Amino acid sequence: MSLRRTPLSNHHRELGAKMVDFAGWEMPIQYSSIISEHKSVREAAGIFDVSHMGQIFVKGSDAVKFLSFVTTWDMLRQKDGDCRYCHILNHKGQIIDDTIVYTISNTEYLLVPNASKIKEIMDWLLDNSNDFNVIIEDLSDSYFCLALQGPEAPRLLGQHLNTSVNSFQLETLNDVIVSGTGYTGEKGCEIIGPLDQVEIHWEALVDMGAIPIGLGARDTLRLEKGYLLSGQDFKGTETTLDTNYAWVIDWNHEFIGREALVLQKQSDYSKLSGILLEDKGVLRPGCSVYYNNNKVSELTSGSLSPILRKGIGLSYIDLDIDSEVTIEVRGKHLNGRVVRTPFL
Amino acid sequence: MSEVPDNLSYTKDHEWMLIDDDGKIRVGITDHAQDALSDVVFVELPEIGSKYSEGDAMAVAESVKAASDIYAPVSGEIVEVNDKLEESPELINESPYEFGWMVVMVPDKKLENSLDSESYRKLID
Repeated sequence: MSLRRTPLSNHHRELGAKMVDFAGWEMPIQYSSIISEHKSVREAAGIFDVSHMGQIFVKGSDAVKFLSFVTTWDMLRQKDGDCRYCHILNHKGQIIDDTIVYTISNTEYLLVPNASKIKEIMDWLLDNSNDFNVIIEDLSDSYFCLALQGPEAPRLLGQHLNTSVNSFQLETLNDVIVSGTGYTGEKGCEIIGPLDQVEIHWEALVDMGAIPIGLGARDTLRLEKGYLLSGQDFKGTETTLDTNYAWVIDWNHEFIGREALVLQKQSDYSKLSGILLEDKGVLRPGCSVYYNNNKVSELTSGSLSPILRKGIGLSYIDLDIDSEVTIEVRGKHLNGRVVRTPFL
Repeated sequence: MSEVPDNLSYTKDHEWMLIDDDGKIRVGITDHAQDALSDVVFVELPEIGSKYSEGDAMAVAESVKAASDIYAPVSGEIVEVNDKLEESPELINESPYEFGWMVVMVPDKKLENSLDSESYRKLID
């Protein structure tokens, strides 16, 4: 099967990007260097083509009730223009996907699921919508998404669209949605709009100095902040409590998975924790973690923090913060410890 | 276009070798290899005095995305390692043929299976 491409594919190639298969899409993993792209986002502004991500619109008089039922958040608490990061769970409380829910109005919402989960989320939403007056539309193939991230991002947004957005707030400008969201932990925004407009925005922002950033640096940027990667940190069996993301749950409302989570809350369970390598080295997903010479877990994510210049990773582990562990990297045991995320 | 200096010998595993007058062989990875690896962030070098057979994994260069074995281009003993790579692994990217050298070996026998610059250029074309 051939890989899908965003309209910017040729731009990425012309910029010298190395392209890889990501969830069936041919996407840039890096243009010049993961390290320098990473630093550009932390120190200036980077631009990401994340048009592979999904856009599912939920409209109708029951949109608030419906989305409250199928996500961990009570959408009654959302005002027009609010964005909220939350999880979509199955009846066992296991994460199907994480998403940001955009409140365009109290009868129109936008969900942005991960590229690999669009179909599963669509099916799940449709299957659970029988009792609600809603229309659910997958418009992923008609919309682009660009993320503009970094301390300089608000200035560039102002220069480009003469607007500004607060954190987790959205503005609509004609048929474009600009939201104060992203996945890097930096200031910035995401711009979502009709696919045929993507080049205008990309070219303008790159001309103004935004540095193109690939998926490689997107991964190290999110990992430094302890953000989850779908298909890696959760892949079907992990609950929101397992991931240590209880803050995305509003317990005071009924939602799919709530019952299972209430039960889990009363028990002991391993939580996703940060692992910081004290020795020199790079952590990788799958590396084994040992405590008192016993294997206790494996890393779900692992890399090197370009800012800390230390190996960092995530692992489901039932140990206190600051516990000393060893991590097996290519047959050697390296010293590390359990830390709270974010790493920085 | 990757740089392939004419005065060096190469392996199909993208290592270069500089043969000194005294028969010692200085080893590093090629410009093509460093470019494919991208940012080298960690290098694990062998111990001085350790011996390897041709084709053994003797060192590791790690980038953000992956770890790559570096193979002994010839059987022999490690007599020097580039300690600077411990603090500055990026030297491999910045200066693959000079400051980014990895080890010096005393080979057990003369080089036989190496490629000259022209053959290596063809390999990576």
